[in-house]
Amino acid sequence: MPQTLRRRLGRLSPRLVAVSLAGVVALGLGSCGKQQDQVTVGLIVKRNTNPFWVTMKDTAEQTADDDNVKLLTAAGTSDIDNRSQVAALQKMTAQGAKGIMITPANSRAIVPAIEKARRAGVTVVALDTPTQPLTAVDALYATNNLEAGELIGRYAKAKVQQLGIEPRVAMLDLAPRITSGVLRHNGFLRGFGITDRSPQIVGSAYTLGETARGEDAMRRLLAQNPGINVVYTVNEPAAFGAAQALKAAGRDDKDVVLVSVDGGCDAIKNGVRPGVIDATAQQYPENMARLGVQALADAERGGPKPRGYKNTGVELITADPAKGVPSKDVGFGVRNCWG
Amino acid sequence: MARESVVPPQAAAQPATTARPQGTGKKRLVYPGFTVPFILLVLCFAAWGSAANLTDVLVGVFRHIFTMSNFQSSLVQFAYYGAYFSLAIPAAVINRRYGYKTGVLTGLGLATLGGLVFLPASRLLAFVPFLLALFVLAAGLSILETSANPFAIAMGPEESATQRLNLAQAFNPVGANIGVLLGAVLILPNLTPEPAKLVMTHQQLRDSQEHDLNLVLGPYLGIAAVLALIWVLIALRGRATPAERSQETGDAKGGVLGRLWRNPHYRFGVAAQFFNVGAQVCVWSFTIQYATDVVGVPTRHAGWYLQASLLLFLVARFAMTYLLGIFRPTLLLFLLAALGVGLAVIAMVSLNMVGLIAVVGISLSLSLMFPTIYGVSLQGLGEDTKFGAAGLVMAILGGALMPPIMGKVMDQAGTATAFIVPAICLGFVALYALFDLRTRRHAGPLVAEGAH
Repeated sequence: MPQTLRRRLGRLSPRLVAVSLAGVVALGLGSCGKQQDQVTVGLIVKRNTNPFWVTMKDTAEQTADDDNVKLLTAAGTSDIDNRSQVAALQKMTAQGAKGIMITPANSRAIVPAIEKARRAGVTVVALDTPTQPLTAVDALYATNNLEAGELIGRYAKAKVQQLGIEPRVAMLDLAPRITSGVLRHNGFLRGFGITDRSPQIVGSAYTLGETARGEDAMRRLLAQNPGINVVYTVNEPAAFGAAQALKAAGRDDKDVVLVSVDGGCDAIKNGVRPGVIDATAQQYPENMARLGVQALADAERGGPKPRGYKNTGVELITADPAKGVPSKDVGFGVRNCWG
Repeated sequence: MARESVVPPQAAAQPATTARPQGTGKKRLVYPGFTVPFILLVLCFAAWGSAANLTDVLVGVFRHIFTMSNFQSSLVQFAYYGAYFSLAIPAAVINRRYGYKTGVLTGLGLATLGGLVFLPASRLLAFVPFLLALFVLAAGLSILETSANPFAIAMGPEESATQRLNLAQAFNPVGANIGVLLGAVLILPNLTPEPAKLVMTHQQLRDSQEHDLNLVLGPYLGIAAVLALIWVLIALRGRATPAERSQETGDAKGGVLGRLWRNPHYRFGVAAQFFNVGAQVCVWSFTIQYATDVVGVPTRHAGWYLQASLLLFLVARFAMTYLLGIFRPTLLLFLLAALGVGLAVIAMVSLNMVGLIAVVGISLSLSLMFPTIYGVSLQGLGEDTKFGAAGLVMAILGGALMPPIMGKVMDQAGTATAFIVPAICLGFVALYALFDLRTRRHAGPLVAEGAH
């Protein structure tokens, strides 16, 4: 290289550095995608205090931020507060939301309000809980509860075989005719390879998914049949109740296979990790919210309307895997738990 | 090198003086006309710090993108530190035969090439090409570092060599923090959420993988661009130094190896350095995993805990420099190694935020180890110092071998339990300090380890 050119280039060095660095930054900024038109979407959850709904709302807000969606949110005062949800549907429709996600507090009573909103041109997606009838909404984004039950049923069966014990099963259910509870129950039976009339089932009780009722029910079932060695629970609060009763009865964690459904953070960290709960089927409220916001925003921007049922995923989480049953470890469970 | 900018043997023996040139009242840092080349060289120190500590973030990122085990993802560090180890001697040969400037340019060129290899690797959607890219990048950085340290020394009067080297090396931890920042800001928050992948079609999964790998690609292409720019500028401006003072270590004279091997302070020192580097790379490689898998910190926030570790390390380094002037170095080394073991045990048993704070706190104990072990091991070696220093530099192999071991333990026994690995490593360092404290030996001056 000629000496003069070399000297000139040399003198340019600091400027060249600055320009080049600016170029790198500009390239980086330029790679950011083009902002889409803002659209309005609503989310109505059952209440704002339950970690499951809080996770759903947080994810919806984050997704809305990322996708330039104006998100309207509302919540009832309890898990059965239909009136607040009806009012929220009307208000959001009036505010111009063209898509609304709702977690029905009352699967039947909410239907007229949903139909009214749909007649006004609003696309409605039910999250987590189906409406009755299912066709009252455009789409349902929810956990496949039958699959969730089946996963823990298969796990419990494999563990029983591994331990070489004669199964004596206790079923701690939700409540009569509640769809999610019935599906989990049926899924467990299918996974375990038994039916409601099978002799392996030595007792069952409703817990309403609560710890105190779970403990009480388990205590009564143990009094009737102290040899219970497999416990199905409809959710983790009930599982913790069952675990307390088992402990009070002097039963060792290792002698009883206790399974559940939900995948909340408290249960994964304090139940599954120490082995109090042997396995749980983890569901993902964040998927319900994310997919719901994205689908409704797409539809408002001219994309296809959400239709039918979308499985939002379920995974078996355990610290003690069973041979032949796919599962994820506790680390995965903690990373992706809700609450 | 990533964590500890290792001064090569030549530099290690530089006297810690900053004399003024005769006949002037002003200290001269570099020879006339070497200001810009020196600034460019300083940028190199920052660049390899960035690249090195970005790999800590990558261990978790690749596990996420390729849904692989902790052992597999830890191969990122095996590739990186393996390259550093493998290229140390060839780098020295290049410097001796062709000069430091050629060494710096070779290192920069190879590292730039490594950064560019990320481009085809991200298109192939496979892990191994990324390992190859990292290996090439680290190979370049190894040569760069081996050349840049003595190059910095040769850029000015011998009297200000240590000052020059300290100044240049001060930019290494700055770069290291920038590297983690790049990961914490540009990569981790934008990764496809893990649950979202559970319900994706095969094509959607491929698309998400491509998206996530492009996130990795961005910072490395940026680093490659900066390295290429520095290469051009040094090629144009970086002069060969007036006298690249011959600082050859000389051939291993007969008996040096034997003398070093018979010196238990040195022999155990190399082992202690191996375990120290191993502990450091393990802790920093798996801090993000501890935050996400044990405590449940969202992935998008987890990088900040690694950032906190590095900042703590940086601040503690300064504090330790002060304390080393008051206390016997191996006493401080013992106390901090014992603290490190204690913190690792807390991380194993407190599976919550306390455990995570303990993991971050381990960086405090790590802060003084490398330079202290370096100095204590070489103390009183006399003419064997330069050759002995090379062995301590090679102890970086610990950074390549220990993370896969920890990854394997994580896969088998859980993330928190795996902190038994750094606990054992730091326990060995504590034993080394205890050994020195309980042994009488000739108290020669400690050998300074450059900027540390």
